[in-house]
Amino acid sequence: MSRILRRIAVTALFFFTINPALTAADASGESENPIDVIGKVQDHYYLDVAGYHLYLPRILFVEGSAVPYVYGSTEAAVESGNFEELPGYTLVSTMGNEVVLDMSITSHLMYFWFAVILTLWITIAMARKYKKGEGRETEPKGWFQNLFEITFVFVRDEIAKTNIPDDKYKKFVPYLFAVFVAITFMNLFGLLPWGVTATADITVTGILAVFTFLITQWNGSKDHWEHVFMFPGVPPLMRIILTPIEILGLFTKPLALAVRLFANMLSGKIMIICILGLIFIFTEFFSPAFGLGSSVLVVPLTVALYVLKAFVGVLQAYIFTLLSAVFIGMAAEEHHNHEEHVEAHA
Amino acid sequence: MGLLAAGIGAGIAAIGAGVGIGMIGKGAVESIARQPEASGDIRGAMILTAALIEGVALIAAIVCILLVFFA
Repeated sequence: MSRILRRIAVTALFFFTINPALTAADASGESENPIDVIGKVQDHYYLDVAGYHLYLPRILFVEGSAVPYVYGSTEAAVESGNFEELPGYTLVSTMGNEVVLDMSITSHLMYFWFAVILTLWITIAMARKYKKGEGRETEPKGWFQNLFEITFVFVRDEIAKTNIPDDKYKKFVPYLFAVFVAITFMNLFGLLPWGVTATADITVTGILAVFTFLITQWNGSKDHWEHVFMFPGVPPLMRIILTPIEILGLFTKPLALAVRLFANMLSGKIMIICILGLIFIFTEFFSPAFGLGSSVLVVPLTVALYVLKAFVGVLQAYIFTLLSAVFIGMAAEEHHNHEEHVEAHA
Repeated sequence: MGLLAAGIGAGIAAIGAGVGIGMIGKGAVESIARQPEASGDIRGAMILTAALIEGVALIAAIVCILLVFFA
């Protein structure tokens, strides 16, 4: 039985891999460049499924109307006559008023949702299991629960407990764990065939960093704000310089958090596409035989890069969570012995 | 000119980050060799510091990418 299933899976995979090559062969000669690097990492208004485009709905708010215009796809929006398509799938209204808000569903958003739904499903299912006593009174059963418990204990002990002082860490464990798992899923989805790395988009990582920023400031202790506006133990004139720097520092921390994750994921993706693209570039510039020969070198290199990217995906999720915990811990910390602290700063 | 600036900028950012992370690795390996029992803490601090340096280098890299496409 499993053998038949395996055979069907292999056939399906073969068909799906061959099909995009055929469609690409049909469309050849249209573009000037042998490979479109930025097009591969950009946000799209469709999901790429096995070489076919699954178009996502467009939701557009136009000036002077509270009700959005909703279409099944970009094509439908153009066919309705109300909108015109610019290169790059941007829609412009032809009714004389401007598009104020483009709330269209995009591929990055879809993969963001996939990751969130998967995270919710895993955590809620596991929480139910632990509520029943399975894992608390008995040992955790099965590889899945064991893996879950290892991950959770790692986030709780290594990330939250060591960086957030006293007993305050308990409040932040749910957020940190959710962010860790969701970012890991988003990073690893990019390694699947036709997958999209949602974190290779500055808006996705930006929103995550905004959440960290809000939680950090919301839970800031009195000492945290004192350090921002009235730095203790320095001459008053120094505060004129220090206060703007500290206020700026509040915002640069989440900015660096967002850019770090975004740039890591984007660079990994660009690197893989560029190195695989060498085959096509060689074919274009020299000969098909040269391209075929270079693939002997290029394909194993890409495999190694994939392994590296899988590692980096988990590592970046860890770093994002760790730095979030460090920032929250720094803000939530209360200095009981203030005299000693002043000396430490001096 | 934008392309040239982006290339030079990316190179300088890579040099800076490479030197910085190399020094972190050197420090971490030396301290682990001296105190193997503290390797867990040292590794954590190493990853944290490397991440902070990497953030700065990547901001430089993003500026270079923006130069390529928008300058």
